[in-house]
Amino acid sequence: MIGSPDVVALTKEDDFGEVYPDPSVLPEDFSVPLFAHAANANPWTKTSYAKFSKDFILISEFSEQVGPQPLLTIPEDPKVCGTFDLNYFSLRIMSVDYQASFVGHPPGSSYPKLNFVEDSKVVLGDSKEGAFAYVHHLTLYDLEARGFVRPFCMAYISADERKIMQQFQELSSKFSRASECLKSGNRKAFANELQKKLKDLEYTRSVVHKETELQKMNNGCYSTQAIEKANELANVEKSIYEHKDLLRQITSYPNRKRQDVECLQPESEAPAKATGSDVAFPFNHSDAEHNPADGDVSDPRPSYTPQLIKAKSAKCFDKRLKTLEELCELASFHQTMDQLKSIEKSFRGDLCYIYTSQIDQILLGKQKITNFLFESDWGNGEPAKHFEVAGLIPHLDLPQAPDGSGEPTSLETCTSFGDSVHIKLELESVDGPAESSPSDLTQETSEDAADIETKGSFSSDKSIETLGAVSPSNLHSHLDVMGRRGTSDECSGTENGIFFDRSTVSSANAPYEKSSAQPGAFSLLDNDSTVDVYHTETLVKVDTACCMGQEGFIFEEPEPVHQRCGETVVKQEPLSLLYGDLALQVDFAGGEAAHEHSPSAVLSFPNTLSEDVARMNVEESSDTTSYMSISTSSDRAPSPLGHGNPVTVKQKKKAGQSALKFIRQYPFAQQAIFCLLSGRTLVVLGVDEGTVRKLVNALSIFVPNLGRYAEQVQPWLCCPFQLTDLQRWKLIGLQRIASPTGSSMLYSLSRYSRYIGILDADNKTLRCPTYKGTLIGHIADHRTQIKRGSTYYHHVQNMLTQLTAKAFLYTFCHHLHLPLGLEDEDAVVQRRTTFLYHLGFSEEESKIVHYLSGLIKQRYVQGPCQRGIQPVFAFNYTTSCLYKI
Amino acid sequence: MSAGCPPQSPAVPKTTMSMTGTCPLLAATFAYWDNILGPRVRHIWAPRRHAAESLLLLSDGEVTFLANHTLNGEILRSAESGAVDVKFFVLAEKGVIIVSLIFDGELKGDKNTCALSIILPQEELSFYLPLHAVCVERLKHIIRKGRICMQKVHLHAGHSSGGISVFPKGFDIIPVLTSEILAIMNLLSSMKTHSVPEDVDIKDTVLNDDDIGDSCHEDFLHKAISSHLQTCGCSMVVGSNPDKVNKIVLTLCLFLTPDERKCSRLCHADGSFKYDTGLFVQGLLKDSTGSFVLPYRQVLYSPFPTTHIDVDINTVKQMPPCHEHMYHQRCYERAELGTLWKASSEEHVTPDSLMQANDSFTPDLNIFQDVMHKDTLVKSFIDEVFLLKPGLSLRSVYLSHFLLLLHRKSVTLLRYIEDETQKGKKPFRSLKNLKTDLDLTVEGDLNIVMAMAEKLRAGLHSFVFGRPFYTSVQERDLLMNF
Repeated sequence: MIGSPDVVALTKEDDFGEVYPDPSVLPEDFSVPLFAHAANANPWTKTSYAKFSKDFILISEFSEQVGPQPLLTIPEDPKVCGTFDLNYFSLRIMSVDYQASFVGHPPGSSYPKLNFVEDSKVVLGDSKEGAFAYVHHLTLYDLEARGFVRPFCMAYISADERKIMQQFQELSSKFSRASECLKSGNRKAFANELQKKLKDLEYTRSVVHKETELQKMNNGCYSTQAIEKANELANVEKSIYEHKDLLRQITSYPNRKRQDVECLQPESEAPAKATGSDVAFPFNHSDAEHNPADGDVSDPRPSYTPQLIKAKSAKCFDKRLKTLEELCELASFHQTMDQLKSIEKSFRGDLCYIYTSQIDQILLGKQKITNFLFESDWGNGEPAKHFEVAGLIPHLDLPQAPDGSGEPTSLETCTSFGDSVHIKLELESVDGPAESSPSDLTQETSEDAADIETKGSFSSDKSIETLGAVSPSNLHSHLDVMGRRGTSDECSGTENGIFFDRSTVSSANAPYEKSSAQPGAFSLLDNDSTVDVYHTETLVKVDTACCMGQEGFIFEEPEPVHQRCGETVVKQEPLSLLYGDLALQVDFAGGEAAHEHSPSAVLSFPNTLSEDVARMNVEESSDTTSYMSISTSSDRAPSPLGHGNPVTVKQKKKAGQSALKFIRQYPFAQQAIFCLLSGRTLVVLGVDEGTVRKLVNALSIFVPNLGRYAEQVQPWLCCPFQLTDLQRWKLIGLQRIASPTGSSMLYSLSRYSRYIGILDADNKTLRCPTYKGTLIGHIADHRTQIKRGSTYYHHVQNMLTQLTAKAFLYTFCHHLHLPLGLEDEDAVVQRRTTFLYHLGFSEEESKIVHYLSGLIKQRYVQGPCQRGIQPVFAFNYTTSCLYKI
Repeated sequence: MSAGCPPQSPAVPKTTMSMTGTCPLLAATFAYWDNILGPRVRHIWAPRRHAAESLLLLSDGEVTFLANHTLNGEILRSAESGAVDVKFFVLAEKGVIIVSLIFDGELKGDKNTCALSIILPQEELSFYLPLHAVCVERLKHIIRKGRICMQKVHLHAGHSSGGISVFPKGFDIIPVLTSEILAIMNLLSSMKTHSVPEDVDIKDTVLNDDDIGDSCHEDFLHKAISSHLQTCGCSMVVGSNPDKVNKIVLTLCLFLTPDERKCSRLCHADGSFKYDTGLFVQGLLKDSTGSFVLPYRQVLYSPFPTTHIDVDINTVKQMPPCHEHMYHQRCYERAELGTLWKASSEEHVTPDSLMQANDSFTPDLNIFQDVMHKDTLVKSFIDEVFLLKPGLSLRSVYLSHFLLLLHRKSVTLLRYIEDETQKGKKPFRSLKNLKTDLDLTVEGDLNIVMAMAEKLRAGLHSFVFGRPFYTSVQERDLLMNF
């Protein structure tokens, strides 16, 4: 066999199967993928290849010694950056810095010139690393640095490029503010440094001068040593001149540049003269006392001892450069860091939700008239501020309150249920911070009150006092009305001090009406009165003849809200005293003590106070809980909602989880929700506090007009509640106790059962009116496949937003509420009913719209200060059913 | 000017462009990183300025300086081949903003990093930002074409003359870029004078009419708004009467966010505006014969499907939903790039040649269809809003309620899908449950909410509806091959 076995064709395995590309086919890197999202990609994974877990802020420096280097990250947790190469990225972002400004000796000038460089902003990315950044370049001054400048940058790094571009203006504005703060601190520190240097130079000059004179005396004027000393002196003097010039430049930083920077306030607070520079020195530093020209010795800070230095400053690579903290005044540095932390926090999370919340804020800004219904934390967030600044929130051009002053002109807002009974409970408490039944009262402290309440009738002075503005004639009128109705229910209502008002009018017209006879007085009862509703161009005449039959029922004109807000805290007698609650009979000379006893107090008093006042007292209450002990241990259990703090969306989302469980566990959840939405107080009764609180928490997201501090919710009550409580609380958690007090609680519960819904957490039953509509089925369907509480909360918000819109429509549809021609009230009512029917609301669901509409009108007429006050109750006598699991 | 041999320093070739209006653009530049000389500017485009505007001018030296600056740091670039990265500069010292698109391309036989940039005055920042995405997307597309041109120059040079740089005629990146830069200058110029204001006064819209049907037929209005929302707020309004067209444009803009409004355009009374890809709402006038030529390619390249509204004959047509639109768009773009790759010169690439050259791709020219899905959301809103008294702010408040509802529904839908799929880790299979749970059983309602969600989370349609659609397309293609 001829051949050479060791000569074989050598092929690489890789080459063997290689298919040469067809040159006429477009290579993939010149084309676009057919599908926007490849096989495993999805709308959520576009940022998944980033090596860091969440957005962060990086501060980098272009060091003259080591080049670009990362200095710090916010947050500091190294887990955030993961395996992301900060060194590489620092190099990347610092290499785009824009150094157009000249710093140093300009041509034709023998002195160094500082140029106040404006910051530059760059958005760039590294698509391979999956990192995109907003980079804010700034320059700080350092006397020891080359050219006196130290280039820095602050970068917001995210895996989402779109986020950075979409939020560019917001990022730019916030980083500019942080940068100005840092630079302001740096200018102060730089000026300080210059002043110290000048002192050193002055001292050096005096020393060198002495030595020169000495040399001259010893060796003559032209000796080598004398000439050297003279040169050295000249150098020192030149250096002094240069430094003075630098100081002059830094102190003459253009004012225009700092006008809109908040953190620069200290910079301009106490101007002092600069050392030997003959210019106003705006910095308030300890060095001022060393200023020979100033001579201010009052500064207590330690003085600086001048040192002998060489005429020329040493600029070498082996010296230690100042840290960022050292380059700035400490306060400015910390302020900047705080600002950066705040920036990181405000942009944290998915762009989708950041953007949506911004849109929400814009839209909610246009709905100031209805936001109070279900938007508990509206206006608290940063975005709102931003958009307000940007002037995007338009002024609501709705018809103004009749007197145009923004103050309440009418206390009364009625409901318009055809068969409703109105119960007037106008309380002095509206002016007083301490309500009759502060939340979480113990049974001991509230026993007296309960007794009085049980015995109470309008014949007693206290009861009359309790009912405040209701005059005997009014009482008579109401009793008369009640007598006409003549049902046992009503009788018991009378015993409990309830006024019945048969009026079916209404308050539906409240936003449209104003008494012409008495400015600011309630107009419903003035026969033949005509009403100006809007401003001149939108005048609407209303005939209130339909209010006949209520003659003599004259409501007192309420005091202006602002006045009351101002006076209530100190001057008003707390209502709890009227109930004989001895525990609350304390000296009020101290002012706000009435509110300071328990978190529960917090929940009760903001009814009549402005939110600011309320919050102030909330804060105070935390410090003074020892003043009086009225809480049981269970009372101190944290309330999941509100509890003295503004209710947040986060809390509500958590409540959404409980709500989702609730609707799945309780088949009668829809009925319970119907109670809440239609304004009927729901009492959750149970032995176990935790269970009750959870249920209250779950149901709280359905409470209209919940209040910023969840004032409408009493999560845990250990004493019998009273009728007045139903005015304030729409959701009550009530302790079931097996004791004489417990029986009195149950007694009160059964007495008021026709006005309330009772959810028995122990027996899993609900007693309330029937609901057969479909609307709430969309909100609370136990078959829902929604998995997460927060998603369910969003779904509930959708439905409530829809309801709010309908209530707004119903409230402000003029033709619904005003009689046409000779039309009587029944026709108007019929029109309203038909209208709601066409909107898709059943008779029961209409009650929800009526209730929400009533709240809107009340809010509209009374203004935000009167939030939560319901001077009139409207209970609808419908049969209650008992629902069981 | 020789295409392949740009003159060396200091002269940089420059194209001055005549504009009808005032163009806010100061200049556009094409620069590249020369492996020996560093950043070099290859070409400058600038609008022709009147003497009165001379203050706005940047000298060529300044433009060159800025253009070079855009390539700073790009020596470190390690992006994948074909990637186009965007850099955005706000240089307060120079008072300019620069938008740079960084990409790699073959120049003079070497693979270079290139930058196509546009320069605007800094005071135009808020004007420009809402249009940033539009400009970038359009420039990205032209860069893809430009890269092919650059590559073909290199290939031809290599093959035809054994390494000697002889550049074939017809494959120069500069004319390719010039066409789009001129279009962008015109766009910015038109937006400067005719963009929709950030806050639209409801009094200028149909929603201020005393009664429904006063300005236009009730069903037409409902259809227009519904379809507009179903196509992600992207619509073109055509007609013969500019006032009528603009009234509908403003009405549709009420349903957009402030930034989206700034990315919308009213029609010009003299009818000089042409369709521009990427705008949300734009009004266009028919010519004197009452006809309107629909630019197929530009409409297809729009980031969202578009609603076509003719106010003369009260018709509303819409493009297919996002996932189908994106698929058609990608098919067309691939075909266009493929044809350019095959063509012997750039002039040979026309829509006709595109269809002939690529047998597997037949664009569906009938892209506008009737609005098939009725909704209840817009219907009830339209019915109800006219019940409120006009002239006050009641209607705009009610509109804000409606928009808030839509936004919230879209967020809820997003969260629902996130929960169901563990943020896309699992396919979405519970559309029926979603409809029931979120009260979106009416198809039109679902389309509207999905469209709003798509704007928040790009690619949502493809994720939810894509798989069945692509399967049906593949089946169709398979059947057609028999």
